[in-house]
Amino acid sequence: MIREGSLVRRTAVWILLAAGGLIMVTPFAWLVRSAFMDDNQIFVSPPQWIPRPFAWANFSGALSSQPFARYFLNTMIIEVLVVTGTVLTCALAAFSFSRLRWRGRNLIFGLLLTGVMLPYAVTLIPTFVMWGSVGALDTFIPLTVPAWFAGAGGGVFNIFLFRQFFLTIPYELDEAAYIDGATPWKVFWAVIMPLSKPVVVVVVIFTFIGVWNDFLGPLLYLTSDSKFTLALGLAGFQSTYTAQWGFLMAASLVVILPIILIFFVLQRYFVEGVTLTGVKG
Amino acid sequence: MSATIGRRRALQLGGLAGLAGLAGCSGKSLGDGGSGSGSSGEAKQLQFMFWGSTAEQKAITNMLKAFGQEKSGVTVKPVFTPADYDTKLNALVASNRQPDLCYMQSPMGYRLAEQGKLVNLYPYFDKYPDLANRLPGTYFWWDKGKTYGTQSANEIMSLWYSKAALKDAGVETPPAEADKAWNWDTFVQNAYKLTLDQNGKHPDEDGFDPKRIRQYGVSAGLGPTVYQPLLLSRGINFADDTGRKSMLDSPEAIEVFQNLADLMYKHRVAPTPAQLGNNAPSTTVQLKTRRVAMVIDGQWTLLDLAQGKLEFGMGVLPKYDKPMTITLGGATAIFSSTKHEQEAVELYLFHDNPTKVDLFSTGLWMPLEKRYYTDPKDIDVWTKNDAHPAEYKTAGVDYTINNSAPYFYQKLRNIDAIDKVLTPAIQVIQQGKTPAADVLKPLASKLNGSLLQGTYPTNGS
Amino acid sequence: MRAERRWGWLLAAPAILGFLIFTIGPMIASLFFSLTDWQIGAPARFIGLGNYHQLAHDPLFWKSLNVTTYYTLGVVPLTLLVGFVVAMLVNQGVRGRGLWRTIYYLPTLVPAVASSVLWIWIFNPDFGLLNSMLRQAGLPTSSWIYGEQSAVPSLILMSTWGFGNAMVIFLAGLQGVPRQLYEAVAIDGGGTWARFRHVTLPFMTPTIFYNLVTGTIGTFQVFNQAYIMTQGGPNNATEFYIYYLYTKAFTDSEIGYASALAWVLFVIVLVITVLLFRNARRWVYYEMGAAR
Repeated sequence: MIREGSLVRRTAVWILLAAGGLIMVTPFAWLVRSAFMDDNQIFVSPPQWIPRPFAWANFSGALSSQPFARYFLNTMIIEVLVVTGTVLTCALAAFSFSRLRWRGRNLIFGLLLTGVMLPYAVTLIPTFVMWGSVGALDTFIPLTVPAWFAGAGGGVFNIFLFRQFFLTIPYELDEAAYIDGATPWKVFWAVIMPLSKPVVVVVVIFTFIGVWNDFLGPLLYLTSDSKFTLALGLAGFQSTYTAQWGFLMAASLVVILPIILIFFVLQRYFVEGVTLTGVKG
Repeated sequence: MSATIGRRRALQLGGLAGLAGLAGCSGKSLGDGGSGSGSSGEAKQLQFMFWGSTAEQKAITNMLKAFGQEKSGVTVKPVFTPADYDTKLNALVASNRQPDLCYMQSPMGYRLAEQGKLVNLYPYFDKYPDLANRLPGTYFWWDKGKTYGTQSANEIMSLWYSKAALKDAGVETPPAEADKAWNWDTFVQNAYKLTLDQNGKHPDEDGFDPKRIRQYGVSAGLGPTVYQPLLLSRGINFADDTGRKSMLDSPEAIEVFQNLADLMYKHRVAPTPAQLGNNAPSTTVQLKTRRVAMVIDGQWTLLDLAQGKLEFGMGVLPKYDKPMTITLGGATAIFSSTKHEQEAVELYLFHDNPTKVDLFSTGLWMPLEKRYYTDPKDIDVWTKNDAHPAEYKTAGVDYTINNSAPYFYQKLRNIDAIDKVLTPAIQVIQQGKTPAADVLKPLASKLNGSLLQGTYPTNGS
Repeated sequence: MRAERRWGWLLAAPAILGFLIFTIGPMIASLFFSLTDWQIGAPARFIGLGNYHQLAHDPLFWKSLNVTTYYTLGVVPLTLLVGFVVAMLVNQGVRGRGLWRTIYYLPTLVPAVASSVLWIWIFNPDFGLLNSMLRQAGLPTSSWIYGEQSAVPSLILMSTWGFGNAMVIFLAGLQGVPRQLYEAVAIDGGGTWARFRHVTLPFMTPTIFYNLVTGTIGTFQVFNQAYIMTQGGPNNATEFYIYYLYTKAFTDSEIGYASALAWVLFVIVLVITVLLFRNARRWVYYEMGAAR
């Protein structure tokens, strides 16, 4: 239906997208050109867009100044644990809050939601004390375990998001499954989740990026250099007295390329018609 | 379908097992016996927490390793915290997991010292002359005979310049000797000669286009590290000696601030904060790209400048009456919770010793002990190298010893609260729309109200 | 229905346990701190509502609350609007839409440090991109983040440009709109507008509602721009609430006072959220049998 538009209309959309895209791509272009410039050129005014000469040394310099391979591995360990835990437990909770009827569910959902309303700056210290008292400092535990409990705190946004989507799925589907003798788990897994790929993708993307860029968590909980993450590694390039801008930009570029790629791959799941086939299946 | 469930469950369990594994190999965490037991005679471990660039991280880590090699039976764990340092330190102190030694901002140091959380180093003065004979302004005394130590290293404020920019404009290089310092008018005149718009016109020429300035004469700004030396030179200070009465409403202070603002808005020889931009390019980049010809900045910038393949020079600040600069720097302190106080003190002396850390010879730091400024042999230890320019002896070494006073942020009580009132007010002057007098008079009375609560002792007696 | 209740608790258990283990404790702790004068390193003393009294007379508290409200009122509607429109556009069957989606999402991926350096240049009154363009168009220029009046609007502009997260959520939401309904509208002779008004929009209300609620909660806690770009200046023009709270907590170590600040914000955000949820019954469309 949507694809039916005339050539004129499609061209108009295309032009609109291109104009907007130009604005949107500026920061990335800025990052790329800065990554190839030495510090003197980055700040020349008026700004230049073509590096002269290309400072390839930024990449070798930045990447060899710290054990980025190790940091990458550490980050990926955390990613895998956090993303799987978050998606699974948040979707389960949202399923319960939106498609199972039980007394107090709205109250409890509301309570969970209050967890994100208190600024983290004041819960940071009690939380830190708590992890310290169980001997979990300088491990990945404080960074990963909460994810298996629906992401505790910030994860409530994910529950909320799943809930909003689950609420738009026709209830006849559940009922039909229950009549066939399915358990709620099976309805969740075999009926709801297959219809929810777009929202799963959103949560995966957000969680992945959140972990990838999280700076404060690793900074607080990790003390050994060998356990540092990529985000911590980047911070070393910009310190109180000196900033190595060229290095910072080059390393930033290398660090964000994977997430751009991941987004590009995952966005394919934003495809219409999932619901339609779902109804029939 | 059950197979799928099984797989998912297995995945979940696998994840949890993985977590348990992580917990297993967690090793020692900060505070959890991080300081070692000591009693059983095993290796003593100290933790040293610090901030800095990746280069500093390497230098400090090497220094700590060297300490461990020289001092058998002691190992030091570096805890590098590149940003949000205060957040982490607060969390560690709040949970009683503080490191043995660490960098810290001086207001927090005073606060913790007064609560008995930091080791008083005064009793060690007899044993360690290098601790006792440092520049007087670098100590943090919180009471009579009580100091939680000194700055990690020393710094001063200086005038840096691009030789090429000065040569092109036919301006003689800024004096490197305090006695010959430019007075304010000479400084402004030279800044005029060094300021050029896109057509090569100076600000005092017809047709000068202030919107398109190619090269500014000087970059100074209106930060406390810039105005305090000038206040001192004018014979006053931020507050009087009691630290209870602001001197910002005096005619001298008004003149100093108005002159600094005039550099930007009247003479147009200096970039405004907007023109310079927050997160601005470093001094080195500004000088190298000829965005500015001269910059008032800290001594630490030498590290960067010396590596920047740039013909630069170092001069003393312009003066009003007496030529003056300030000494400043973050603190290093020892927590009294340490189980190895003696070793911690030894590490304290090791960590800011110019023969042990190369951050002095590379230009980032200045030493603390007086002898490094007075004894030619000791001066050579850290200045006789490629990083330090020829004029450093007078512009750096002599200037510090003869013409400096401590930075007021390191001496006044209640400075965090003062800062919250002070900084926004100075930003109003900095925007150039309000005369300095109109800002400073109400500011001074506000400060005199209850914010100025005196100074910390300036010496041990 | 007892089984359904049991399943309900069971499936929500990780979330509920997580809340009990990781969230509620620190929340109660901070509520308790807010009744003390605790400064890190010193012993805490119970002072009742002392911090809250002090708050009422703290000019920076009021200033930061104003600034943050102003900012939120600007950012939330703009982000929603732009995010929605762009999501509609990149949901069309245009050539290379995967690429378009990625491009429009890019600003949210660029690290904050890199993008703030860029924006500092864009906002530069002398040679920045914005003023250069305005000058060429013969329009008056602005001092952007360097002016007391223009600082917050500038940051609103900058934040709106990071609408990518809202867009992605809308995109996911658009996939849930049943296509057969579009066909039904077409059969009834409805055009593009009717399709949008009677099918897309109603089906998107849960998503819009989500973005509205989370956007509001999140935007009230804006912090990074003040921290990285303006340090609250000039003259406290961008002294955002959390920035103020953060300096109180970690520069001054005054956890007691910072906790009181936090709980005041908590109540404000809670009230707004409750109002939004109440109001939602009137306009948010859920499937029959959904939560009430």
